[in-house]
Amino acid sequence: MEEQVKNASWDHFVRIHEDLCNGCVLCMKVCPAKAIRVRGGHVARTEGLCIDCGECMRVCPRGAVKAITTGSRKIDRPTAVAIISPVLYTQFGEDITPGDIYEAVKGLGFMDVVEQAEVMAQYVKALELYIREKGKSRDAPRPLISPVCPVVVRLIAYRFPSLLKNVVPIITPRELSAREARKKIAEQRGVDPEEVRVYHVTPCAAKMISIKRPVLMERSYLDGAIGISTIYPEVLRELKARKEKKGEANARNRMVEWAASGGEIDNMEEGNLLAVSGMQETIRYLERIEMGLLESIDYVEFRACGEGCIGGPLTVADKYQAKYTIRKLGRRQRQGLQADVAQVEERYKSGWFFTHWEPRPIGHREQTLPLAEAIRRQEQVEKLRRALPGKECGACGSPDCATFAEDVVDERASISECVFLKRPREKGESG
Amino acid sequence: MPGGREWIEMAHLLKTFSITPRDFVRAGEISIAIQGILKSVGFGQDVIRRASVCAYESEMNVVMHGGKGTFFLAVEPEMIVMEVADDGPGIQDIDLAMQEGYSTASPEYREIGFGAGMGLPNIKKNADEMEITSEKGKGTRVKILIRAEEESGGAG
Repeated sequence: MEEQVKNASWDHFVRIHEDLCNGCVLCMKVCPAKAIRVRGGHVARTEGLCIDCGECMRVCPRGAVKAITTGSRKIDRPTAVAIISPVLYTQFGEDITPGDIYEAVKGLGFMDVVEQAEVMAQYVKALELYIREKGKSRDAPRPLISPVCPVVVRLIAYRFPSLLKNVVPIITPRELSAREARKKIAEQRGVDPEEVRVYHVTPCAAKMISIKRPVLMERSYLDGAIGISTIYPEVLRELKARKEKKGEANARNRMVEWAASGGEIDNMEEGNLLAVSGMQETIRYLERIEMGLLESIDYVEFRACGEGCIGGPLTVADKYQAKYTIRKLGRRQRQGLQADVAQVEERYKSGWFFTHWEPRPIGHREQTLPLAEAIRRQEQVEKLRRALPGKECGACGSPDCATFAEDVVDERASISECVFLKRPREKGESG
Repeated sequence: MPGGREWIEMAHLLKTFSITPRDFVRAGEISIAIQGILKSVGFGQDVIRRASVCAYESEMNVVMHGGKGTFFLAVEPEMIVMEVADDGPGIQDIDLAMQEGYSTASPEYREIGFGAGMGLPNIKKNADEMEITSEKGKGTRVKILIRAEEESGGAG
């Protein structure tokens, strides 16, 4: 389900292939941004609305939707660093340990392989400091929102811009890992940090857009993404080739639990913390937060994929199997990964963790209309909506009756597309 | 506050919803719909937030305590007016109900996170104008006005 990038100038990294698409309504129905329409027997996407979440990819029965990651030919492994998402450790079942998987990836010829785990423990501590600091302030937005899931961040920038200020300005573990790896390699080899290539081994279809068009930072520290599903066969081959397994490496905590929903807050000791996963639930909660509800909560860990990152579109293992694996692996590593608290506090004060970029809303159409006109437009939309049958069938090519009403008012669709609406036959119409 | 129903009927964008008391499955849907409408119109973030809070609190008041209810929404470029009426038991003592923390909610409601006695005070806090009339045994009517400042439109 994954295609590799040939042209880096695209605005989106989830792509719909017209030749494989038969124009069914499944992706249009699930698209949370309402960016998809069916026109002339194929799907058409409003590019400005897509948030690269990959929901369309998940439901397409024909494999016509593909996520684009960095092409393997583009990556020169001997000069590249791979940052591994802990999700990778959940993909091979309970008998293959994170230590063995890490060694296997090292065997694939990268210059260096870095686990996110180290920096995650620090990230969690810094997050706790931030939550505590904001808890004392009366003007701080509540609840704070995790910056980790790139789909949620784009969703907020696009549909809930008033909540951008709730997103914690701490740099995500993957980006911190990339920044530090880049620095370290550059020092070791005496090269310019810009010359080091850093790639994220990821379950996430939105990772590419978060690297190429970040919302929370001016520039990403990553150069590209490698889908777990792309590298999986190679890792499996390497695992089989390695006869001796390193039992010792398995005793270390790899923050495997992070891969599932709740993993980020599980490592925190205090505060009213909430974990929400899945696109529909995420939208529901963002709506409620925007209504001023949930103010008793300090922090929400949102993951757009159901069950968290193990539900990512670029995974191989089923998400419930992966969850089972996490449980089994977690039982074997009783000792949690501890961050050096004094070091975290010092880094926290010095700004080591923070992004100073002010995130901007991703604007859309309505906001360009003056209010009086926008109200008249909405009035027409509501009127038309009342006239529509409310069957939500999608046969008109719009995802639901409400969106169809908008499309007609905005002259992107004709009212005659509605198959239920009885209408006088227009002049010159055939059939 | 513009006078009575006549004004509402003259307003531009109008919408009426009915509220079913004790329907906790659909509770909140009206507020979400209103939030959506205000967003598509393109009001400023703060206007939308304040209107959403008022919509939610007044919807929930009817769901929890009221009778069969109606929710009117009227939208003008300068203001948003909401009128929520129900034919429930009415409010005994409005001044008391307006106090933060005063609640007549049952322990069951409190258990599921409602009834902290913040409903009406929260509306007052977020609305520019609020009017509440209630008659014992006949019902309650809450009128809410949110002024839309001119910063709106492109804010968001």
